[in-house]
Amino acid sequence: MGFDLTRVVRGRVWKFGDSVESDAINPYYQYPTMDELKQHTMEAYRPEFPQQVKPGDILVAGRNFGCGSSRPGLVLREVGIALIIAESVSRLFLRNSISRAIPILMAPGITSIVEDGDELEVDYPQAIARSIATGKTITLRKFPPLIEQIFACGGLPEFARQRYLAETR
Amino acid sequence: MSQTIAEKLLTRNNLAQAPAHAGDIVEARIDGAMCHYHASEPMRDLALQAGFKDGLPRVWDPDKIFVLVDHHQPALSQKLADENAVIREEVNRLGIRCFHDAEPGISHQMMADYGLMRPGELVVGNDSHTISYGALNSGGTGITRADMFYVLLFGELWFQVPHSIKVVLNGRQRNYPIAKDIILYLAGEYGDDFAGNMSIEYSGSLVPGLSIDSRMCLSAHGVEVGAKFAFFPCDEKTRAFLNGRTDKPYEALAADADASYEKTIVLDVDEMPFVVAKPHQFGNVGPVDDVTGTRINQAQIGSCANGRFEDIEIAARMIKGRKVAKGVRFIISPASQMVYLQCLKAGLIEQLVEAGAQVVTPGCGVCQPRVGFLSDGEVCITATTRNFKGRKGSMKADIYLGGPLTVTAAAVAGEIVNPKQVFDGL
Repeated sequence: MGFDLTRVVRGRVWKFGDSVESDAINPYYQYPTMDELKQHTMEAYRPEFPQQVKPGDILVAGRNFGCGSSRPGLVLREVGIALIIAESVSRLFLRNSISRAIPILMAPGITSIVEDGDELEVDYPQAIARSIATGKTITLRKFPPLIEQIFACGGLPEFARQRYLAETR
Repeated sequence: MSQTIAEKLLTRNNLAQAPAHAGDIVEARIDGAMCHYHASEPMRDLALQAGFKDGLPRVWDPDKIFVLVDHHQPALSQKLADENAVIREEVNRLGIRCFHDAEPGISHQMMADYGLMRPGELVVGNDSHTISYGALNSGGTGITRADMFYVLLFGELWFQVPHSIKVVLNGRQRNYPIAKDIILYLAGEYGDDFAGNMSIEYSGSLVPGLSIDSRMCLSAHGVEVGAKFAFFPCDEKTRAFLNGRTDKPYEALAADADASYEKTIVLDVDEMPFVVAKPHQFGNVGPVDDVTGTRINQAQIGSCANGRFEDIEIAARMIKGRKVAKGVRFIISPASQMVYLQCLKAGLIEQLVEAGAQVVTPGCGVCQPRVGFLSDGEVCITATTRNFKGRKGSMKADIYLGGPLTVTAAAVAGEIVNPKQVFDGL
């Protein structure tokens, strides 16, 4: 499953603060299976999140999203989050998202244009995020070409397989 | 053009054989890869998803891959025992020679104990605290398990060359470890992402006297403040530590005098109070005096941040002739078997057990919901890596982070207290 950067994403916003940590996103020590994780992701911040999140919702967060351990955020995609968009993302969470092609973007200023429950539209090719309610926009950070390529492949293991096949043919 | 340590490292290892500058994306040659329990089913699952139906088809260099069964040794459940069995199969199948299996301990400490990384190398690990190798001037950095999949196949990986931040630590030598207080204080003062995506270079008058144990605490916690690398200079202490642990040559890294830094932080350690991180974030820091009187149920010393000889030594030295407060569970977990043995030979374990502490098997368990769960409403003060909500089980428990001295003082008093009120001679 790739992250199609060419697609415009529009959805309802779940807004979180700064330094959301990866134990809360992915508490797999407590809940080792994906079914259990889906019932508990983000409950450290918003106990209602696992029950109320809907497919297509957008997760907006402050700076340093996903800090802490190197834990991938696959569960967020599993519960239906169409896109994570944060002021900044901790490096291991970002690497995890890139290498597993989990839709994630960075947009300094994003938390100033949307509130929880608002509709947000995100257009990566145009590098713009827009609040539907107020029309306010903010510029997205673009990824370097290599990273876009990894997203397009569906992640780093898939990228690795293409390279391996090319080299061992 | 003058360069920082990170720029020199990623220039040296740049596959494009071109100078690397902060902000560039490079593909770099990997000098060593530390792989812990993810070597088992997670790696197999990634291979299957990518279309390798027989699993990972090869490893790029069986001598540069170090597999340590650290988080899950000895196996704490049937599931983990079965996963460990898969690791053994995979290590055999792929011909990986450096495999620490029937030996509990934290991978990062064992990488140091056995001299598996050296100054000037680019060493990756699929654990966030791999950054601790910077204590030995090694370019250790955490990567993800899918990154590791790529590394195992090709021995290469993409990086963004980080900007660098200079952290200058000035102050006098002390007779107790102060590293934890330093990094907590910095996180409190400058935010828990003050080094976000950056390479920290430690320097200052305090550094030559800092033990390797203290340097590893500071470098390990680089990740708690967002860093990619956390380098100390390679000096006599580094060379003395490595002497006898490795016979491979190494080329240490130092920045050019006029290298360019994103920012510089200068800390006068002598002016700094004892501090703790309050629940539930690393950067939620205040002087210990702000929370004195907080009753505790559990106190802990361990992890890749504080499970080393000097952390356990100060606890033993301070607790000698005293007792752990009634009802307090004081849990000590040495970082590795080598550290454990060193503590045993020095008589520290005897002193701690006599005082009422519990010593548990070396490993990561004490820093996770694995060993020493907390119940609702309980309070723990711990010299380990993180205090996130639920980190020790209950979402309704409070976790404070402090240095080993502050933790020991609390264990004796039964409540959080300034160590100076409990111990003389500080």
